[in-house]
Amino acid sequence: MNIFTHILTGPITPDAHAAVLAAHAPHIASLQNDGSVGALLRFDGIVRRAEPSTADPSAHHDLLALDYQTYDPMAQRELDALAHRVATRYALYSLIALHSRGRVHVGEVSFVLQVAAPHRAEALAAMTDFIDDLKRDVPIWKHPVWAK
Amino acid sequence: MTIDVLIFGAASRAAGTDRVPVTVGDSPTTEHIAAALAEQHPALRFAVFAAHSPNSAPHAARLAVNHAFAPPGTIVHAHDEVALITLVSGG
Repeated sequence: MNIFTHILTGPITPDAHAAVLAAHAPHIASLQNDGSVGALLRFDGIVRRAEPSTADPSAHHDLLALDYQTYDPMAQRELDALAHRVATRYALYSLIALHSRGRVHVGEVSFVLQVAAPHRAEALAAMTDFIDDLKRDVPIWKHPVWAK
Repeated sequence: MTIDVLIFGAASRAAGTDRVPVTVGDSPTTEHIAAALAEQHPALRFAVFAAHSPNSAPHAARLAVNHAFAPPGTIVHAHDEVALITLVSGG
């Protein structure tokens, strides 16, 4: 089982993303080539412009960015523990999760999750469970920075 | 004894600080600290009562002690790092 999690400062740029994926690509490629992997999924979480207002959830305002606050090192530990729980629960071959801390502007990526599994159903369920549990168990908070 | 509790997110903004002191008796449990937080810092009541863990008693705050979620009944010592983990919102 190949598991990698990391919290990095600022947005997950294409270069940072590519560097992490490249480091794990040989392992995933070998599983793919030997016929083990049946599903490879990647989710990119991107900061949207329109967010519900904290004062009035029925209203939407334009965002400039989100500021992600992490409780370190607990956030990294919980992210890693979550990755192991989900990978074990769904018998994944690989799970890679990246999350931002600090400011991430609209249009930038703040979260990446990639899973490799024998079958589509396990891969999809793992994605959903991971994101649901992330929002419950990993001490990361986001604070909106509104556009003027 | 007095214990500083770290706070984050909306709790931190409501209190205008990133840590608050709570005065508790000797050998307090996390439940004692949660109750003291709500009583001594009314601005944090919303966070204490919203932060309950599904594995703990209703309305018990979800506290971390030394960077790990504390099971119910955990006794806190003077030099432990205690944090109030309110509803998180990563992703």
